[in-house]
Amino acid sequence: MIEIALLAIAILVITLTLGVPLPYCFGAALMVMYFIGDVTMKGMMLWGVQQLGNPILLAIPLFVLAGTIMAESGIAASLLRFVNAFVGHIRGGLGVVAAVSCAVIGAISGSGLTGIAAIGPILIPEMEKRGYPREYATALIANSSILGLLIPPSVTMIVYGWVTDTSILACFLATLGPGLLIMFSFSVMNLWMSRKFNLILDDKPTFSELSSEVAKRGVHAFPALLMPIIILGGIYGGIMTPTEAAAVAVIYSVPVGFLIYKGLRLSNFFEAGKEAATAVGAIMFMILFSMILSQMFVYESIPQQIVSSIFAITENKIVLLIFINILLFLVGMVVNDITAIILIAPLLLPLMTAIGITPVQFAAIMGVNTAMGGVTPPYASILYLGARIGKVKVTKVIPPAMFLIVTGYVPVVFLTSFWPDLSLFLPRLFGY
Amino acid sequence: ETLKMSHVRPQDTTIDVELRTFAASVAEATGGEIDIQLFPASALGDYTAVQERISVGALDMATQPAAAAADRRMQISSFPYLAATWAQAQTIYGPGGAVREVMNGLYAEQDITVLAAYPVYFGGIALNVENPNPASTEPNGIKVRVPGIKAFQLLGEALGYIPSPIPFSEAFTAVQTGVVDGVIGSGAEGYYASFRDVTTTYVPANTHFEVWYMIISNESFAALSDEDQATLKEEAASFEATRWTVAEDDQARNEQRLIDDLGATVAELSEDDLAAMASKVRAEVWPVVLEDVGVDWGQAILDQVAAAAK
Amino acid sequence: MTSTEIHVGGTMDRFAAILLTSLICFVALGQFFQVITRYVLQIPVMGLEETMLYPTIWLYIFGAINASRENSHIRANVLEIFISSERAHTILAIVGEVISLIVGLWILSWAWDYTQYAWRVWRESPTLYIPTFYSDVALVVGVTLMMAYTAWHLVKHILSLKNGTVA
Ligand code: NA
Ligand code: NA
Repeated sequence: MIEIALLAIAILVITLTLGVPLPYCFGAALMVMYFIGDVTMKGMMLWGVQQLGNPILLAIPLFVLAGTIMAESGIAASLLRFVNAFVGHIRGGLGVVAAVSCAVIGAISGSGLTGIAAIGPILIPEMEKRGYPREYATALIANSSILGLLIPPSVTMIVYGWVTDTSILACFLATLGPGLLIMFSFSVMNLWMSRKFNLILDDKPTFSELSSEVAKRGVHAFPALLMPIIILGGIYGGIMTPTEAAAVAVIYSVPVGFLIYKGLRLSNFFEAGKEAATAVGAIMFMILFSMILSQMFVYESIPQQIVSSIFAITENKIVLLIFINILLFLVGMVVNDITAIILIAPLLLPLMTAIGITPVQFAAIMGVNTAMGGVTPPYASILYLGARIGKVKVTKVIPPAMFLIVTGYVPVVFLTSFWPDLSLFLPRLFGY
Repeated sequence: ETLKMSHVRPQDTTIDVELRTFAASVAEATGGEIDIQLFPASALGDYTAVQERISVGALDMATQPAAAAADRRMQISSFPYLAATWAQAQTIYGPGGAVREVMNGLYAEQDITVLAAYPVYFGGIALNVENPNPASTEPNGIKVRVPGIKAFQLLGEALGYIPSPIPFSEAFTAVQTGVVDGVIGSGAEGYYASFRDVTTTYVPANTHFEVWYMIISNESFAALSDEDQATLKEEAASFEATRWTVAEDDQARNEQRLIDDLGATVAELSEDDLAAMASKVRAEVWPVVLEDVGVDWGQAILDQVAAAAK
Repeated sequence: MTSTEIHVGGTMDRFAAILLTSLICFVALGQFFQVITRYVLQIPVMGLEETMLYPTIWLYIFGAINASRENSHIRANVLEIFISSERAHTILAIVGEVISLIVGLWILSWAWDYTQYAWRVWRESPTLYIPTFYSDVALVVGVTLMMAYTAWHLVKHILSLKNGTVA
């Protein structure tokens, strides 16, 4: 049976490479299981549709919509200006602003696209004006944009928690440590890179100038800064579930976007609603069929067979972890984050548990790897969106992006795998 | 013949161990003809979906609660305060019991055969806060998560709690962060399995008698030889008989585990306290749920239960 | 595109935007209402959760239909990056659409099977006893319309290949 499962996965990869929309790629894999593997489809739709009814999935479109609204409305821009007040005048400071702003935006949006969509159009031209190469600025913001998936809330962690039956709040906290470390490493790399750029700097402000500017922008950014507090405070403070928090984020951002920051108008509001719903609709059919596929695998005990065949090769934890990180890197090159998680997490979790990696640490490992997939070519949706926003050729933006990935990202990926405390410290603190 | 059987608890829990023993004895009795393969922890889906998949013949077997989505009359199985003692429970849910016979019939309408009942426990309330007056049914302001079953929502209210409908997948987190203060709808064993880190107080209010059914799809059952069918039924009957003898001790052991392993407080409730709760729930909850399942149909069963109790 | 097509496309676009935004806001309001009743008013509303299932499922399905209409389903366009000719892109799109149609029609048969089951069993939600058929039927409606749009894109791509224009 494992041969047929592998054939199904091969068909999935082939159709995927041909550019077939993802739901049908999973459907093609289902056909292999059904026609060649003789696994029943009876009752599978029933099971799959019931999975879609889980309210936790509803958090995905809502967090995506909240992110889109904050990008459109000027909420994100006010956060950007606020962060800029602190470090904008330092040499290389504007690059740090990019990383930190994306992290703050990540505390509201659940998607990896919001950062680049929200601050790319403002910050890329500004950075270029100050002497940063345009392709570097684009690469930096696109890479930082990934923090939206690592700083909670995060749609990938919602999906991971859902398919593996792990606490979503614990998963949220698991990627926070690695996320902050990545923000830090991008900032440091940027300061180091900036020495080579011919930057135009503001005059260094006096302390009183600085504090009055921080206060002024702080007041303007206040309603925006309240958002992460409402969302994360609401969830961890025991007021609402993640799905409810996502709804509250939307409800809050609408009047704030329309009335306070005034960037939201009826036209872009409806456009944002349509975008979020279409994005989630495209995901849901993929989730439906991939869930059915993994249910077929469970039904045929494929995960256990995978574990035993891998253990037949090696049981060495370090070797296996390196192998899994390479596998996830390769998967991340060709598919998007959510797909990678529903495809891989249920298959590999038994293996991880067997070598003593907890589901929560595996959440972090999957989280950082699949988030990185958003900027690793050939399929690098976040990087390509960045190139479009920054009006740079994709081929130009890839070298600086790869530099940041290798120096800023990959070390954190390995730390997440080999230093459990990095991902488990915060969840433990909260009692998971 | 391989029969895939789903159940709702994790690996190595009591039910998992008991079902493994059952599978082994079935294999032995049929000379290896029937191989029951267990899928613990709802790996094949939650009990509602599993029951429907068994009904269409897509899955073979399960040992789990009755799901009322396809037939609301199945709520009769979890009617609150129907049984007061273990002896009563056995006359109601055991072989030949009033509810058991009805459930056999309702399952049959869904092309499912009941092989055995599995008595689990009397339900209670698990809290992550103190309840200074656990015997009282006056409103106490404590929010509890209730499953999406009407009887439990009304039950929670009748016992003085604020019932909050939160999906099971979010229930643990909700208790931990304090969105709600506790859970209703399960018992000591269930709370130990799923809510152990957030249970500091346990109120053994005997809310309902939790009974699961070992069910098999008619299609899978018919595919067995007459001889194997008979053996399977015999083994299931003896599985049930054994369970009835150990279930009460099992419940006591699980309540003790809450105290020993978790340091939880188990509230002391007198027989009068329990009787008062029971009569309040019977007066407030029964009429509403009866309305839903059909007054004549439901009342006839309740009458039978009452007659048997005398 | 002819001017009628642009006009129809524009109307459909506006219709999709209003429908999808209304659905998503409706479910957001439902969730928000739940927080208010539970946290502020301390009287949670029973049955709200199961009621929300209906707009939620329809939101997903309409979102998916719209993705098919816009041809914006997620794809991993790995080959497209290495192939630069427009003609090759169109051929690739046609191959993808043919595969989608084959798979989709097979899926459709199972969606139909599911719909018949849902009709026969007529399940109800746990507390308000709302028939779940009204959300179950969304699946077959969704797959049907997705197939229709996929077929439409296929026709357009084949025509453009024949006429040598880029679709
Ligand atoms: Na985020
Ligand atoms: Na990638």
